[in-house]
Amino acid sequence: MDTNAIIALAAALSIVGSTVGPGFAQGKAAAAAMEAIARQPEAAGNIRSAMLIAMALMEALTIYGLLIAFMLVSRIG
Amino acid sequence: MDGSTTVIVRIGGILDISKEVLSMWGIMAFVLIVAFICTRRLREKPGFLQSLIETGLEGLDGLFSGILGSEASRYYSYLASLFVFIIFSNYAGLLPGAGEWYSVPTSKLSVTAALALTTFIMTFFVGFRKHGLKYLKHYIKPFFIMLPFVIIDEIVRPMSLALRLYGNIFGEETVMDQLYELLPIGAPVIMMALSLLFCAIQAVVFLMLTCVYFSEASEELS
Repeated sequence: MDTNAIIALAAALSIVGSTVGPGFAQGKAAAAAMEAIARQPEAAGNIRSAMLIAMALMEALTIYGLLIAFMLVSRIG
Repeated sequence: MDGSTTVIVRIGGILDISKEVLSMWGIMAFVLIVAFICTRRLREKPGFLQSLIETGLEGLDGLFSGILGSEASRYYSYLASLFVFIIFSNYAGLLPGAGEWYSVPTSKLSVTAALALTTFIMTFFVGFRKHGLKYLKHYIKPFFIMLPFVIIDEIVRPMSLALRLYGNIFGEETVMDQLYELLPIGAPVIMMALSLLFCAIQAVVFLMLTCVYFSEASEELS
């Protein structure tokens, strides 16, 4: 296995690892927020903004992985 | 990371006028011209353009004061100009020729890092303005042992702000490029439709987090 193949594998692993965890977490957050909105529709605005902030914080983890993957892919050659 | 920039003019060997700077100037000029045209004839009974811009600015005010409360009006000009700049930069990526003739400013790490740094500095400004030198006390609350963690938290905030915006917009641009390679007519449209949503969400998220940091800096020290 040459270096390029290892770098490609590392890039794939970094995006896989950083997608699975936040994916589950965001699903959980969205489910809880929808339940809350269904139970209390008049608080939908507040719940939505709180959910957006929480989602953004989880999204950041995925973005870190994506950046590492891009960095690794640019080193193939 | 994507650090390659095209330098167009170099002033005095230090100041580089690159593609990103020119694109930013273009966006600023566009915003200024639109604002000038819309506010040229202000009237009690607003016309179409005036009511359009008023609706947008009132929506922004609602977003900020939902988090900051009464403090929002004090920092409204900073927050609103940040929002307008970010959202216009993000949407610039949807115009034809993005990345080729001009570059999307927020898809470069240097631009988003600068935006995050202004928020970082403004957070201190907000804290010192509200509490004076007592603001430094929040570093050692509730115990002195918290000091390193609070400092790490302060440093990580602008980093994650910058990386989130940069990563999202840069990722979108890259995906769009790849789809264009795959099937030039048709395929990028799907991503563009999603981009309409994501670009707005990223701008809203950046401003919401900025508001959260401001409200944390200005809340009462117990």
